[in-house]
Order: sequence, then C-alpha cells, then structure tokens
Amino acid sequence: MSQGTLSPAQPAGNGGAGIYQNIATRLGFLLFLVFAWQVATMVTDIPSYLLPSPLEVASEFVRVVGDGTLFHSLRLSLSRMFIGYGISIVGGIAIGVLLARSWLVKQTLGSLFLSLQSLPSICWLPFALIWVGLNEGAVIAVIILGALFSIAITTESAIRNIPPIYTKVGRVLGARRVVLSRDVLFFAALPELIGGLKIGWTFAWRSLMAAELIRQDILGVGNLLETGRQFSNMPLMFAAIFTILAIGLTVDTLIFGNLERIVRRRWGLEK
Amino acid sequence: MDIEFRNISKQFQRVEGGVRQTFQALSPISFRIESGEFFAIVGPSGCGKSTLLNLLAGLEVPGSGEVLAAGKSVREPGPDRMVVFQEPGLMPWMTVRKNVEYGLKLRGLDRTERRERAMRYLRKVHLSRFADAMPHELSGGMRQRVSIARAFALEPKVLLMDEPFSALDSQTRDLLHDELQQIWQETRTTVLFVTHNLAEAVYLADRVLIMTAAPGSIKKIARVPYSHPREKNSTEITDAIRALHDDIKEEVNRVAAREMDPEWTPEDSKKRERDSFTLGEGI
Repeated sequence: MSQGTLSPAQPAGNGGAGIYQNIATRLGFLLFLVFAWQVATMVTDIPSYLLPSPLEVASEFVRVVGDGTLFHSLRLSLSRMFIGYGISIVGGIAIGVLLARSWLVKQTLGSLFLSLQSLPSICWLPFALIWVGLNEGAVIAVIILGALFSIAITTESAIRNIPPIYTKVGRVLGARRVVLSRDVLFFAALPELIGGLKIGWTFAWRSLMAAELIRQDILGVGNLLETGRQFSNMPLMFAAIFTILAIGLTVDTLIFGNLERIVRRRWGLEK
Repeated sequence: MDIEFRNISKQFQRVEGGVRQTFQALSPISFRIESGEFFAIVGPSGCGKSTLLNLLAGLEVPGSGEVLAAGKSVREPGPDRMVVFQEPGLMPWMTVRKNVEYGLKLRGLDRTERRERAMRYLRKVHLSRFADAMPHELSGGMRQRVSIARAFALEPKVLLMDEPFSALDSQTRDLLHDELQQIWQETRTTVLFVTHNLAEAVYLADRVLIMTAAPGSIKKIARVPYSHPREKNSTEITDAIRALHDDIKEEVNRVAAREMDPEWTPEDSKKRERDSFTLGEGI
C-alpha cells in the first residue's frame, strides 16, 4: 500500500504511450488486417465458399440485418442468457454464501461443485434434452450448469478473503448480522465478486453458443453459423462469428471491464 | 467508566506437530481500571495482552471469569466501548467523512448531526481538509488518525487501543502520541492502551501493567505519577522507563529463549546491544 499521496509515475509497458495512442494503434492494426484480407481475396483465386472477401461479408451482414434475421436470432440468444445467467447469479451467490458460512455445506456440496465445475457444461445437453425436453428449458439448463458452479465457488472465495479487520470494525461500530453483511461484508467482497460474475458470464455465453450450434431445432446467433454451413453460405458464417465475437467483447470489456475498473479505483486497489 | 477484569483466563486450541493442544494464553488474572484513567498494558508478544483488550471489546469471550464495564458483564461489542486497531481498518469504499459517520448512522443520528460531529472530530485530528478524500489517498499515519477520530466521534466511555501506532514510522508516532494525549486531556475518556513499546506506555499512561510471557499474568502494575501533558524526553519519563526496563526485558528474553536455538542466551543480545545494534522490539 502506498504511504504517500503523491502517485509515482505509471509504470507502462508501452514506452509511455497515452491511451489514445494505444487505441489508435489497435484500430490501425485491425484496419490493416481487413485490408490485407481484401487484397488476398483479390489477388488469389480462393473461391468465395472457402474465404469470402470482407466486402461480401459486409453485404451479407447488411442483408441479415435488413431482413431482421440477425436481430431475431440475437434477441433469442440474449433472452436465453438473461434467464439462464440471471438464475445463475441469484443461485450462485446464494450457494456461495452457504459454502462460506457452513462447514457441512462446504464439505458436501462444495466438493461436489468443484468436481462438477471441471466438466464442460455442454456435456449436460443430452441429459437436459431427455430430462427437460426438446425446448428452451434444456438450453437454459446448460447455461445454468455452465455458470452456476463457477459463480458459487468465486462467491465463496470472495467472502472468505474478506480481511477480518472489516468484521471487527463493523461489529465494534454497532453493525450486526444483516446490517453487517449489507453495509460492510458485501462491499468488502465486491471487487472479487465482480470477477466471479465475469467468469460466470463467459462460461454461460460459451455454453449457450455450443448448445445453439448443436441444436438444429432452435434459432439463435450460434445457430446462424450452422445455417450458414448447411447452405454453403460462408459470408453468413463470418457475419455470425463476428456478431458472437462482438457480444463477447462488449460484455467483457465494456460492461465488466469498466465495472471492475471503477470499483478497483474507488477501493484504491489500482490507481 | 470503571473496568474490572475478574479472574479472567483464556485458552486456545492449537495444532502442534499434528497434535491438537490446549494453549493457556492467560492464567487467571484480575485488575481494575479507574474511570478516566489512561491504563497501558505492556508485554512480550503472545502474552495475551491483545486478548485482554478483545475481551473488553466484546470481540472474544473469556475461558473463565468475567469482564465488568461499569459493573455490567461484557458479552458483546457496545457503543460505550470503541476500539482503535493496529490497522486503521477504514472502509475503502467510503470517503473519510463517511467512515467517521458510519458508526453514528448506526446509532441513529440524523444526517446533519452526523456530518457536524464527524467534522468536529476530524478537526481534532487535523484532517478536516481530507473529509471527502478516499482512504487510499491518505498516508498510513493519516489513516490511523481517521480511525482515532472515528472512535472518538462515538463518544465512548472507554477507548481501547490495540498497538495503534506500531505500524507507523517513529516521527509519525511521536506526532500521534501528542495528538492522542491532547484529545484525551480534553475528553478524559478512560483508555486501555495495549503496546509492546514500554517507552510509549510510560509516556502516555497513568498506570502501566507489565505482563509475563505466556500464560500471561501480572508481573507488575506501576504508577507513572506525573501530570499531563508530559515531555517525552524529560528526565522523569526516561527515569520511569529505565525503572521498568528490566521487568519487561526479563519477559522478552523468556519468550526469546523459547523461540530461539537452545544454545542462545540473553547475553548474546546484550553483546549486540553494546555494539549499538538494535533488536526487534518485542521480538
């Protein structure tokens, strides 16, 4: 912990370049890749069904946006995420609190969850299809099985890692049980808790994409990929994969990344 | 508020070499602290001095005996007893002022009252300019002053301090000794001050309790008969420190002998002392 109010010069691995310079460099590199891709498809005779040009992908993208296919698929995928991930957050945090507080739960459910977590959740899809049925429920079950355990386990560790001084100070100041948890322990655990929700999101999103790819009978952005393959529509496959990538990046960096940074800055965990 | 420790003992379970053993931290011990007194407990590490403080704070329960605060048995933390720990323990998500206000909020004070009182005590520790700063923007000494302001703001009947300055550099510590002395003279709160630093205890306290190595018991209770404010380097204070030095040294050596290789003797460290090497305080 720093002892002074003067902050030392930021150690930077980029030779001291500013944030705008970083962004400009990254964007420039992306543009260069797209340009190189375009040139490569023009000077070689790779057929479009193997590698379409960026322009073809762009026009296919415009088409699926225009006829509503993309938004319809997105809406379906995101609403599955909303339900599955939402249940995982509520359930995972509740189970995490129990794991941290109860020795019995830790020894029984805790060890079970740890071993279940190492199983890719998509392996549950065949079971879910039989037990839950050929419906939305089976896909949502796979999302939950992907995210719930990891959220529960990181919540537990977030609670266990709360420095004991906060509990002592809170109790001395007059906070007890519910008030102590709400005012003190929750905030003390928050930075790590957000990290757990981020990991949970990643697991949930990957599980959903795998499930949509396998399931032929439901729509979704994952399913667009498979549709593209069946119709030998490579530009559609590229449009789908970029959409999936864009959503992952948006949630990871824009939502969780910023949330993490705001909390860590305010808590003084980073400058 | 007068405090009484009555036949207090405390045991811990600890695992040593794979065997669960009962460790006697405190042998039955009794003493009283008068209302308005500044009472210091000094002892080697592991002697149970912090345990005594935690018992009065209500953060631990005694193995036997009871702690009485104003005649009532202590069972849990209460608004009459505030603690300043070695770590400031400020909540990093609250501003300095909100940290001081939090306990007042739990006490049911309304917004303006809270704010007014928090600012009053932040002024006492000379940090009102930093009221809206975040804790991580302050130095270690400043954070500990906020922690002291937070405790005093609740206007407790007794203030418990658990090695509050031992993590600070010596200049900051000197500064805080004088600030504490001044606030204490203004408020005349009863203070229980736990430290391993004899000089600090003698300088601040009306009475100093010296504890033996574990299982902790009372080796001596000495009165420091000088009025406040005191001069740190006055001959009275340095003489008083010297008079108690051998008592604490004996106990520190006893702890050291348990921890060090068998061939070690206190003479070894005396040699080094003469060569003006300093040993870690309290070991």
